[in-house]
Amino acid sequence: MSRVQVDRDRCVGSGVCESLAPEVFELDDDGVLQVHREEPGPDDLDAVRDAVQSCPARALALAE
Amino acid sequence: MSVNTPAGPVDSPELDIEAIDLSDRDFWAEPPAVRHAVFDKLRAERPFAWFAEPTMEGMEAGPGYWAVTRLADLDAISSEPAIFCSGQGAVSIQDIPADLSEFYGSMISMDDPRHARIRRIVAKTFTPRMLEQVVDSVVGIVDDVLAEARAKAEAGDGTLDVVADIAAPIPLRIICDMMGVPEEDRLLVLNASNTILSGGDPELTDEADPLTALLEAGMAMAELMGRLAAERIENPTDDLTTALVNSEVEGEKLTHQEIASFFILLLVAGNETTRTAIAQGLLALSENPEQRARWMADPSMDKTAVEEIVRWVSPVTWMRRTATQDGELNGHSFKEGDKFLLFYAAANRDAEVFENPHQLDLSRNPNPHVGFGGHGPHFCLGAHLARRELAVTFRRLFEICPDLEITGEPARLRSSFVNGLKRLPARLTGQR
Ligand code: HEM
Repeated sequence: MSRVQVDRDRCVGSGVCESLAPEVFELDDDGVLQVHREEPGPDDLDAVRDAVQSCPARALALAE
Repeated sequence: MSVNTPAGPVDSPELDIEAIDLSDRDFWAEPPAVRHAVFDKLRAERPFAWFAEPTMEGMEAGPGYWAVTRLADLDAISSEPAIFCSGQGAVSIQDIPADLSEFYGSMISMDDPRHARIRRIVAKTFTPRMLEQVVDSVVGIVDDVLAEARAKAEAGDGTLDVVADIAAPIPLRIICDMMGVPEEDRLLVLNASNTILSGGDPELTDEADPLTALLEAGMAMAELMGRLAAERIENPTDDLTTALVNSEVEGEKLTHQEIASFFILLLVAGNETTRTAIAQGLLALSENPEQRARWMADPSMDKTAVEEIVRWVSPVTWMRRTATQDGELNGHSFKEGDKFLLFYAAANRDAEVFENPHQLDLSRNPNPHVGFGGHGPHFCLGAHLARRELAVTFRRLFEICPDLEITGEPARLRSSFVNGLKRLPARLTGQR
């Protein structure tokens, strides 16, 4: 099972992940990143990989 | 159209690398073909090229800078903010004098942890979800501007200026609207942001001394924003200013000085960039009529087309970083204090990354351009907003002004920093 990891010290709340994988990532009202599915299903994986790859702060990882 | 100029680089094997000078202001008035031929040459033969600094009235010239033109090098520098910092200035080659950094000391020229603190507070207002709420107003504003441009052209001889009548008002109204800047102050905002980003183009500042002009523009904006912030504390509304005066992260709020600086950054960063993408994007479409026709007919291309326009135009030509220590990067050694200019415009035409880089391809996918910055903490805060503005603007243009035709040469801004246009003559043919 793959797991999403967020490095909270690096995250700047850019929201790039949310625009690529809105089912999995959401910035809450305080600008803090919420991960709705820490273990994304097979349908989410492509979008999550895209988000990890695109994170401008390199704050995301996917442990597969 | 009869004014076609090739947008790709001119093939000039005789181009002498020793004669290239990116600090020469006249170089930045050259057409794109010349600019990209120079970038190609540097990228291929001297990916870290050293240049003496341009001289600016009232400022002492610094030691010089490395020009970075390969995407991989640029992204590596951008990704290491501890080694390549922004705090000594990200938007000017010269170190910023203390009096200027008072006004422009916003997060774009800050390092963590100060940068992260401010960025987190404001990032809340720029999330994709928050932006969903402003879409309707973006559509409304774009429709208004296009209707006014159309009415003006039709009332006259059918001609218009793409920059003044379409590209400038759209982002200005959107950002002023989001922040709640009153109608009567909007001209001030436009003029001040022009001055701040003009990089001293004499046509854009009345002031003989660009430094004085910069300071005055900054003070005018700071005064306006201070007034606005105070009003919103008294009478909260649903605008961004209200959100900013109230927002806090882990119990911390922005100071008024920080809010004023942030406003200036937003206005400056959000206006000229988006205006440039619209104006230069329209120019690129008129030079590539078959692509324009394809995009016009197929709204599902909006997403890739907008990315390609940002890659193609690269509204922000460069940002600066400064080395905090001695080191080596991809075989290139550098010293503490060395300055690097990250040339996004060059990296976005890197053949190592982009197939046929000098070809506009509105369905290019993937498109890992660095038009909004490379990986790193300063990645454009307004990227979502800008993408939305561009998608709406071009789509509505196709619908409301399908007969828009560029009729003459653009007047280019003589700035190394913004790839802007001052004027772009056009007309509405009346043929739909
Ligand atoms: C097509 C339009 C735009 C382009 C090409 C663009 C490009 C850029 C670039 C290259 C950077 C610097 C990245 C770095 O240093 O790593 C940046 C930063 C920034 N942009 Fe944009 N931008 C655009 C639109 C906007 C808009 C509409 C806004 C706001 C309303 C905005 C606000 C900002 C801010 C606040 C920063 C500084 C972020 C930080 O330091 O953390 N930009 N932009």
